[in-house]
Amino acid sequence: MGLLAPLFLLGLATIAVPVILHMIQRERKDEVEFPSLMFLRKVPYRSFRRQRIRHWFLLLLRCAALLLLLFAFARPFIRAAALAAVTDGAREVVVLLDRSYSMSFGDRWEDAQALATDTIDALDPGDRGTVILFDGGAQTGPRSTTDRVSLRNLVSNAEVGSGVTRYGPALKLAEGIFEASDLPRLEAVLISDFQRAGVESAVGVRFPQGTVLTPVQVGEDEATETNVSVAGVLFEREYFSGRERIQVAARLTNRGPTAIEGLGATLEMEGREIETLTAELPAAGSTTIDFAPVTLGDAQIFGAVRIAPDALPVDDIFHFVVSPGQVVTVLVVGGTAAQDDANLFLTRALGIGSEPAFDVRSTTLQSFSAADLADRQVVVLNDTRPPSGAAGEALEAFVEAGGGLLVVSGERTAWPQDDPGLLPGRVGVPADRDGRGGSLGFVDYSHPVFEVFSAPRSGDVTTARFFRFRPVEPTPEATVVARFDDGNPALLERRIGAGRVLLWASTIDTFWNDFAKKPVYLPFVHRMVQHLADYSPPTPWFLAGQVLNLAEQEVSLGEGGTAAAEYVVMSPTGERLPVAVGERAGFIDLTEQGIYEVHDANAADQRPLILAVNVDLAEADLSTVDPEELASMVTGRAGGDRTAEGGPARVIPAADLERRQSVWWYLLVAAALLFVAETLVSNRLSRTVLSTE
Amino acid sequence: MADPPPSTAGARFVDPQVLGRIGNLKLLARNVVDGFINGLHKAPYLGVSVDFAEHRGYMPGDDIRFIDWRVFARTDRFYVKQFEADTNANFSVLFDISRSMSFASRGISKLDYGRYLAGCLTYFATTQRDRVGIVTFDDDIVTRVPPSAKHLDVVLHTLDRIVAGRPGAFEKPLFRMTEFFKRRGILLLISDFYDEPETIVNQLKPLSYGGNDLIVFHVLDPAEVDFPYAEAGNFRDLETGQRMPVVPEKLREQYRALIAEHIERLSKLCAENKIDYAFFNTAQPMDHGLFRFLAMREKLNRVR
Repeated sequence: MGLLAPLFLLGLATIAVPVILHMIQRERKDEVEFPSLMFLRKVPYRSFRRQRIRHWFLLLLRCAALLLLLFAFARPFIRAAALAAVTDGAREVVVLLDRSYSMSFGDRWEDAQALATDTIDALDPGDRGTVILFDGGAQTGPRSTTDRVSLRNLVSNAEVGSGVTRYGPALKLAEGIFEASDLPRLEAVLISDFQRAGVESAVGVRFPQGTVLTPVQVGEDEATETNVSVAGVLFEREYFSGRERIQVAARLTNRGPTAIEGLGATLEMEGREIETLTAELPAAGSTTIDFAPVTLGDAQIFGAVRIAPDALPVDDIFHFVVSPGQVVTVLVVGGTAAQDDANLFLTRALGIGSEPAFDVRSTTLQSFSAADLADRQVVVLNDTRPPSGAAGEALEAFVEAGGGLLVVSGERTAWPQDDPGLLPGRVGVPADRDGRGGSLGFVDYSHPVFEVFSAPRSGDVTTARFFRFRPVEPTPEATVVARFDDGNPALLERRIGAGRVLLWASTIDTFWNDFAKKPVYLPFVHRMVQHLADYSPPTPWFLAGQVLNLAEQEVSLGEGGTAAAEYVVMSPTGERLPVAVGERAGFIDLTEQGIYEVHDANAADQRPLILAVNVDLAEADLSTVDPEELASMVTGRAGGDRTAEGGPARVIPAADLERRQSVWWYLLVAAALLFVAETLVSNRLSRTVLSTE
Repeated sequence: MADPPPSTAGARFVDPQVLGRIGNLKLLARNVVDGFINGLHKAPYLGVSVDFAEHRGYMPGDDIRFIDWRVFARTDRFYVKQFEADTNANFSVLFDISRSMSFASRGISKLDYGRYLAGCLTYFATTQRDRVGIVTFDDDIVTRVPPSAKHLDVVLHTLDRIVAGRPGAFEKPLFRMTEFFKRRGILLLISDFYDEPETIVNQLKPLSYGGNDLIVFHVLDPAEVDFPYAEAGNFRDLETGQRMPVVPEKLREQYRALIAEHIERLSKLCAENKIDYAFFNTAQPMDHGLFRFLAMREKLNRVR
């Protein structure tokens, strides 16, 4: 018997309170009027102090309730039970089985399964076992069970996954199982190839005191074997004879200590072999091989780069999806035909680029008509008056419907002062900057236009000098994206309907500034137009373990979006996963390596959305950590110290014992019952006294 | 302590708790008395006669108007003719209205109880053609209504407005009363008698010297008899205002013994001095008092 908070027993002094209360006389607060004290005076006076306890039963009830309450607060526990459990020697065994894709290296997985099965078979009848399968996350079957068959089945049915090794989640899960266990001996068996990459996740995990962690390393002698992987692919797009062609470049990495010669690498498109090249790989080095260009069709196609399988075949293939090159259509409207110079830098800048490519058409304000907007995504009004009449209305409707409009200020810009119309601000008369001119002072790097410059040494937009600009007074709904160093807005944005309008307060050529001569000009113009066209590049591949929100794949899924749609996702292994995408986002857990197909359940004939999933190559790094290092990190004991095995079992901390037994709870309930009884008894006594009075 | 006599059928009208709800004292008295009379199977005490009783030899000093001349003619001796005594008696209530009489532990106070008793008996006496009067006193005489056949309303009115407000004493008021009751009659003294029995009886003796028949109604509250208090506290004397810390449980038995002894001594002393004593607990019905009164009235009828 022990007490977790024995200081509460000091409260035993309070037992004196009811005793005193029962001994002293309770006096009336008010006086009792009596006809005459004649006879009372005749009674010989004695001490009025009560020397006799009355209502013994009530006193005992009160004392007992108080005692129970105090003992409950002192949190008692029975140590004898703990000792019995210790001598019993039953074990809580948790088998942690690594199934990250590195375990597919050689015979590691088969060895690991055999070791796990051996551990389960070695369990004594009184032992309880749990099997945790882990890669990036952790899964468990029946917890803390004596059912050996289900544990064996779990191990034998398990397969190597596509995830990376992360020890943390699995060890945390085991920690929880140990903390919940009431068995005296806690043992964990960690079967893994002990890759160093996953160790960081185990920081902060600490098994209960006395837990024995036995690391079992598989593939120890294979660590020096060669492992070549396809680390990634790059696409180079080009147009040839009006058709888009794509050149795939694959990066191969050799993590082994020996150079490799004559390694065959094959490019597959839509499952067909296109080309096979031979590569030379230095020891612990990498190389890039370029395949011949492939002509693309109108739809997205999937492909893969494959090398000859080695001991770790999972990283010998790299899947990707190639979408047809996106083209952003731009209409540049100049003042007159004579102003072609004003469009020069802009059109040239937009002429460069393949992802996306820009289809630029120029026209003048006079010849600008509503028909010109038919196939355009972005309109640039370059130093010109606003279009009037039907063309103006068409432009307004174009923006409302989701089109982008870039208005570039200049000498001929003449928007009505009182009515900014589509503009995000009122444009004033040109203002000159003296001396060396001004520069951009404030830039919102979180804005998509300038985001690309946010990283260090990724382009300095403040080097450009601005000699003249038009001051703009922003409208309330406008957002100032960039300002000149004198505080005047340089770039403003406004959303109108589904579209966007950007207003550049200076020219976009070299007339009023030298921005067009700066290296940042090209990405700046590209980003502006991409932003106005609401362009987002298709993702060529995902990593295993990622969770994909189908609702965000609107572009890939095409027109019509994903609103209230229902999809069937087919995994690389052929599993069908229905996903409803509506008000709730439809998430797909991309767990397998390979090609996922997303079919629209309501349009069976439509070509499915294809998603390529590759394994995280961090797992391909097979360098290991000392298993004992990991064990000591988790158990807090020196490496290799497993003295608890067969020796004296762990001493269950008093707090754990008390928490498991929870005697206080029963004491509290008993005290409550006694207090109820006390209330009833005292009420009855009070009524008796009142009735006699 | 004397047990009350068994209740009659009309006793339901004399429950003090019930009477407390009747505001009109006259109505109350009539209800009680009528109910009481109706409950009797016969009325042996009714029908007071004024007929001839006997002859007696003439003694010097006798009024010569009462000499029976016919007898003188036959016997040549003087005989005085004696009639039944004049049964119309004076009935006076001597009501102690000292502060202690206002004590009430449950519903009805001793003062009210005495008030009802006095009212009922006064009304009853009126129905007997008696003359009724009242004297209220505490430490002195407060009100005096001389006995008269027409004073029922005055007596009831007096009873109605009495207030127990001052400390009481027996010596002075009783001494003064001896001067009022020269004529023989019935005197009903209602009090809680918080004094030594010897003192009280000594004060009462002069009242009975004049041939008055004295009835003493000793009215006490049940709390004064049983002392049921449980919690200790300060007890305050209603009359003197003195305070005294009391542990009831400790004193209860001794108190009960003392009060019982007091009642017994008072009763015994009264009996020795031919004073009719009756004890009343305000929790008991009032027919007890009425019986007492009738018994006394009967005794008076037999006395010449």
